[in-house]
Amino acid sequence: MSKKLSGTFSERPYQTTNTAPEMSENITMIQSEQILNTVAMIQRENLDVRAVTMGISLLDCRGATIVETCDNIRAKIGRCAANLVSTCDAVGEQYAVPVVNKRIAVTPISEVGAGYTSSELVQIAQALDAATAEVGCDLIGGFSANVESGVSRADQALIEALPDALVSTQRVCASINAASTRYGLNMNAVARLGQTVKDLAENSADQSGFAAAKFVVFANQPTDVPFMAGASHGANQPEVVINIGVSGPGVVARALERHLEQSSGKSLGLHDLADVIKRAAYRVTCCGELIGRQVAETLGVPFGIVDLSLAPTPNVGDSIGEILKILGVDAIGAPGSTAIVAMLNDAVKKGGAFASQNVGGLSGAFIPVCEDRELALAAEAGSLTIEKLEAMTSVCSVGLDMIAIPGSVDAETLAALIADELAIGMINHKTTAVRVIPVPGKEAGDMVTFGGLFGASVIMPVRNIGQSTRFVRFGGKIPAPIHSLRN
Amino acid sequence: MSNDSSPQKQFVITILSRDRVGIIADVSDAISTLEGDIADLRESVLRGYLTMIFLVTFPASQTADTIRQSLQAINTRRVDKPPLEVIVRPADDSTPAGQSSIPPDAYVLTATGSDKIGFVASVSGFCARHDINILDLSTAVSDGDYTMILLVDLSERGDVADIRRRLQDFGQETGLRIVLQHYDIFKATNEVSLL
Repeated sequence: MSKKLSGTFSERPYQTTNTAPEMSENITMIQSEQILNTVAMIQRENLDVRAVTMGISLLDCRGATIVETCDNIRAKIGRCAANLVSTCDAVGEQYAVPVVNKRIAVTPISEVGAGYTSSELVQIAQALDAATAEVGCDLIGGFSANVESGVSRADQALIEALPDALVSTQRVCASINAASTRYGLNMNAVARLGQTVKDLAENSADQSGFAAAKFVVFANQPTDVPFMAGASHGANQPEVVINIGVSGPGVVARALERHLEQSSGKSLGLHDLADVIKRAAYRVTCCGELIGRQVAETLGVPFGIVDLSLAPTPNVGDSIGEILKILGVDAIGAPGSTAIVAMLNDAVKKGGAFASQNVGGLSGAFIPVCEDRELALAAEAGSLTIEKLEAMTSVCSVGLDMIAIPGSVDAETLAALIADELAIGMINHKTTAVRVIPVPGKEAGDMVTFGGLFGASVIMPVRNIGQSTRFVRFGGKIPAPIHSLRN
Repeated sequence: MSNDSSPQKQFVITILSRDRVGIIADVSDAISTLEGDIADLRESVLRGYLTMIFLVTFPASQTADTIRQSLQAINTRRVDKPPLEVIVRPADDSTPAGQSSIPPDAYVLTATGSDKIGFVASVSGFCARHDINILDLSTAVSDGDYTMILLVDLSERGDVADIRRRLQDFGQETGLRIVLQHYDIFKATNEVSLL
């Protein structure tokens, strides 16, 4: 663990010394109440560091043959991430804050593997999978391409490789950026990707289409995301970097409940509750920043960003949906839900931005239906629909995420669903994404379980199936939006 | 603090009393009458009882007895008030200044369980057996549970993982819920300090 990687990475542009204040204060302890609050936040309110993701550049891994390239990739990941898991565990133990997921993001494979055939790119995916297993990480992101303004031959090969790459591996995650505010929305690519999502699900029918849960289509994809499936290590990033994603819906929910209980009788406005969220987010982010910096320092790697996303889990008490209910809608998806998510998302950013030196990634509240117990229950009860989720994503990160839909939905309808979501991101200068799973053989109202953090959900109905075919078949490109006349 | 070059002596003084308005004024006034220079002091109040500890430099002519008598004289002047109990001892000259900062390996240990006799003795006994110096200690009652909060220095203990394992066993034996966390996490979540 103490073996430093320093020397390997000379470029450390944003690395600063540990900025913890000098230990010069008197032994007058922080008040017991504050100590107990912090202990409770970690022990009872599900505070954890959701993901420590090591970004690794693979641009220097190209070999003379595909075999040599794969060997280089495995060797480099093995070298850089050898101590990632043990370091995260040790630092997590020091503070009794678990680091739940240790992950890797690599340079988009369309760049590393340009010129290879799609079957050779599948070999790279398998090398990534093996390397990730060797260092004990659970997922690796970066089987990716950016096609926002057009599809190169390398991108084409990567897209063709996607079904085999994701079905024949366990840990590899893939993402395609198909739109941006600057370059517009590539509808040729989106039309193709609708079919890709369908192929992914059908080729993994024995796992209820799970391969589709490892693939996400983006608008305005950041290059420093620590969360899967959208993590990749952009060409603008350092050689190696540590990015982290915090968690904490449970901490926010309990803080709100406590405040409401203590203020019973007094009239509270939403601005008061926004302040509670802001403070809770500040505390959560401080924990993440402390742990992320220490992991980076121990590994001798620059610390990149904290992603301020509130990431739920299927565990009871760790839900974004629960926060919506506390903030006053009795059914998630009822009118008011979008306004609440907007306030929540903004308050989290305000609190988190002050707690961290560098904020990045997606930074917003996630609403992944399968991964959030309350959202999944609302979907089952019928109060939460895909249309309302789409509305909510216009004010929060990160899009239509982990939504199980009928396996019978056709590729064009899927493409149109993707286009709608990417259009929201493109027009609003924000990141949006689509990760839907058309579960083979299931129809709306059936249940599906993916297990672990991926959770379970009802199959949500998609309305107006087959009614968007003419739109999708036009193909071409939706031009980039105008940057003035903003309304 | 004092630049006087005449011979001086340092004393440690502790006061215990039922809390009331004016104790610190009375005590510090008596000290200054004896030309004592207060180098350091701490005060703490627990459920209406006050305790103070002073480190004071006096002219060499003062002795522990003369200082104690002056402080006890406060009681005769304030007969209607709860009396002060006073202990005065010459301070060890080797007492280093500025040793009261939190070491880098400070951890916070919280032990929670139902209130019973011997709770504090058992937790502090564990610390003593394992060379863990307790820097500060307080207790709190919440939701019917009794919690001990200890600030401990683990710098004498290289292997924190080993302590953690032993704490886990100790927690199982005693039925206490024990959490050991580095002090920095409490600073991070509770303080907005200048860098």
